[in-house]
Amino acid sequence: MKFRILGRLLAVLLAFGLIAAACGDDDSSDGGDDTGAEAPGAADAGDDDAGGDGGDDGDDAGEPEPEPEVEDVTLRVLVHQNPPMVEFMESFNDEFEAANPHISVDMSVVSPGDLSIATQTRLSADDIDVIDIFGFSNAAQPYMTAVTPPNWQTLIEAGLLMDLTGQPFVDLYDEPTIQDAGSFNGKVYAINLGRVSYSGMFLNLDLFDAEGVDVPTTWSELVTACEVFTSSGNECMTAGGADGWPIFVGAYGLLGAMYPDQAGLMEGLWTGDVRWTDDQGVEMLRRMQIFASEMLEDGVTGLGHDAAPERFKAGDVAMMPTGVWQAPALDDADFDWTYIPFPGSDNPEDNKYLFGKYDQGWAIAANTPHPEASLAYLEAFSEPDNYQAFANAVGFIPTQPTAELNTKLGAEVAPYLANYRVGLEQYWVPPTGVGQWAGAWQGAAWFQPFNEWTDPAALAEQAQMDFDAGLNAG
Amino acid sequence: MRIVDRNYLFARGWKSAAPILFFVPGFFLYLFIAVGPSLATAVYSFTDATGIRGIAINWIGFENYDEFLFRGAASRDNIAALTRTLYFSFFVTTIQFGLGLLLAVLLKRRLRGTAIFRTIFFMPVILGVAIQGLIWKLFLLPSRGPAAQVFEWFGSSSEFLGGQPRQAFIWVIVVQIWANVGITMVIFLAGMQTIPEELYEAARIDGANGWQLFTQVTWPLLTPAVNTNFLLNIIGSLQAWQLFLVLIGYRPGTQVLGYLVFAEGFGQTSGSVTSAFRQGYAAAASIALFMLVLIIALSANFIVTQREKKYMP
Repeated sequence: MKFRILGRLLAVLLAFGLIAAACGDDDSSDGGDDTGAEAPGAADAGDDDAGGDGGDDGDDAGEPEPEPEVEDVTLRVLVHQNPPMVEFMESFNDEFEAANPHISVDMSVVSPGDLSIATQTRLSADDIDVIDIFGFSNAAQPYMTAVTPPNWQTLIEAGLLMDLTGQPFVDLYDEPTIQDAGSFNGKVYAINLGRVSYSGMFLNLDLFDAEGVDVPTTWSELVTACEVFTSSGNECMTAGGADGWPIFVGAYGLLGAMYPDQAGLMEGLWTGDVRWTDDQGVEMLRRMQIFASEMLEDGVTGLGHDAAPERFKAGDVAMMPTGVWQAPALDDADFDWTYIPFPGSDNPEDNKYLFGKYDQGWAIAANTPHPEASLAYLEAFSEPDNYQAFANAVGFIPTQPTAELNTKLGAEVAPYLANYRVGLEQYWVPPTGVGQWAGAWQGAAWFQPFNEWTDPAALAEQAQMDFDAGLNAG
Repeated sequence: MRIVDRNYLFARGWKSAAPILFFVPGFFLYLFIAVGPSLATAVYSFTDATGIRGIAINWIGFENYDEFLFRGAASRDNIAALTRTLYFSFFVTTIQFGLGLLLAVLLKRRLRGTAIFRTIFFMPVILGVAIQGLIWKLFLLPSRGPAAQVFEWFGSSSEFLGGQPRQAFIWVIVVQIWANVGITMVIFLAGMQTIPEELYEAARIDGANGWQLFTQVTWPLLTPAVNTNFLLNIIGSLQAWQLFLVLIGYRPGTQVLGYLVFAEGFGQTSGSVTSAFRQGYAAAASIALFMLVLIIALSANFIVTQREKKYMP
């Protein structure tokens, strides 16, 4: 009996509690209007009428005007792991928070390999406001049939990315970048923050001087240079082989030298005008084998991409083929270095190109509960002074026309920027049903010691067979 | 004191519904977390689902299965992954089973230090896959790693995880066994502790030697633990893929079926390019994996049932 009375009492108390909670002031559920979000340097939130009765300004001159209520906002930002970029973003976030006291930034950092999954899941769960998104690429072309659209296109078609068309900060970026790397069907969905090149290599100039070796401008000179370095007890090249992709990225210069028209190469493979078994394709693979099996030092199969610059800085490695994004890691190197296109051809004219991609960009979740704060974040980021500092920190080739790459890397790559081209990786859309060896452009990572292949001609045959299998599968 | 009311199930009023009411929450929980997702996966396998909210899901019949098993050279790679999964399962199951049994027999002896060794052998089980992978990646560094040093003593060298697919594959088997042999050992130890000591004493009085004690007493009476370990090892190894992800990533010639499901469902990243999410296709691949597990598990179950009948009628 006592328990029954106690139970009823508890039930009544619970009911009162629920009613009180329902009638209470809910100041946290609606994040739909985060007023007063201002960029650093423009944070005159006192002038922002949103949330207050702006029409009454000045009416009650004798009484202190009540401060407009500004809602606290937590802005959720997703970025991929890139040490100099993350370091810069942490500093930028501090400045942004200081200029916008009602906004706090919650930045999540994921590895590049997980960025796509994190983006998709957090967008689908409405759990993110601002996302780091790589430049739009790999779109289906008219000559392709029955291919799956790239993820960025699917996200846009699903209505998960905000239309940024007409936002003032978009105009700060150069028009071709906005069109090539951030637009779809005439609308802007992302601002791209920089181009990178991955078809070149860093050279330890002090070691070159010490061994009396000239900077190679052709493939033959590169082979000879490697022989000199290894015979003197040094190593020719290093790369982050444990992660796989740095090996084929490292050999990108070979692909670029053989096929300067990368978009044409993709189309040619689809139409049958280009085949991996052509003399050019087999020669490319032959040189990739030399690169993978002979030029790279022993042990690179266990060296991670982020660890490769440390190995290079040891001073006994002459070259490190990789992307320009690793330049900041060489800031404290004890030797003079430069960055040149990988000389993959015996004709120096073919070796003047730098191939690369549009790297990191910003997009906003269409369903963000904090649209104004998100836009303010991008606006603040895009301010020319801030963007210049970003470009300097990460080593990207700037996509704002007013910015310059004021770093050592900038000076080193300046002569080649006129010959900058987008690489095959950004065009690569194979037919559905291709085999795992169809992308022979990744061949450097398939020769020993990284995989089982030893015969370039046999690999070329297999690659073409695997690509044809996809074409024939319809 | 009456513990069970025999009339409870046949009682009138609310008492008659009580057993069913107690059963309902568990039943719905099981439906929600086990049966529901499994059925949804089966349904998804007939669609072009991407897993991205807002994208229409279309019914495409058996197209995913057709592509997975028969279309282009990708089907060849899928079959190769399936074969690799079987190899992986065979070696992991047999070695882990044998090693776990051996360790259990050794550790059951009341010798000094057995508790420490029991802890050491079991410790990898409590580590997460990421930690297990990190430990072995460091141990197997081709240059200057501890394993490389040991190889060097014998005038040999290896690329370990970063080398040729077959070599990397063998190392994943080693790590999988290291990571899970502790649980196999513990199940065997638990089984051995249920065997009455009197049986051993009686056998010893009859003149049985160590081998005979094991084959005539331990092995038959260990049947429940043997069967449990056998099934757990088979199913666990057929479904394993996380160590492949952590240790070697997506490399041609190394994928097992479980990893293929993950890579197709959530894309595989190469450089800055990630392939499209094909969760309908991945669902079809996971149904193929499920069928494989089902067939092998049912066959294994048949064998262990026969064994139980033989030893524990």
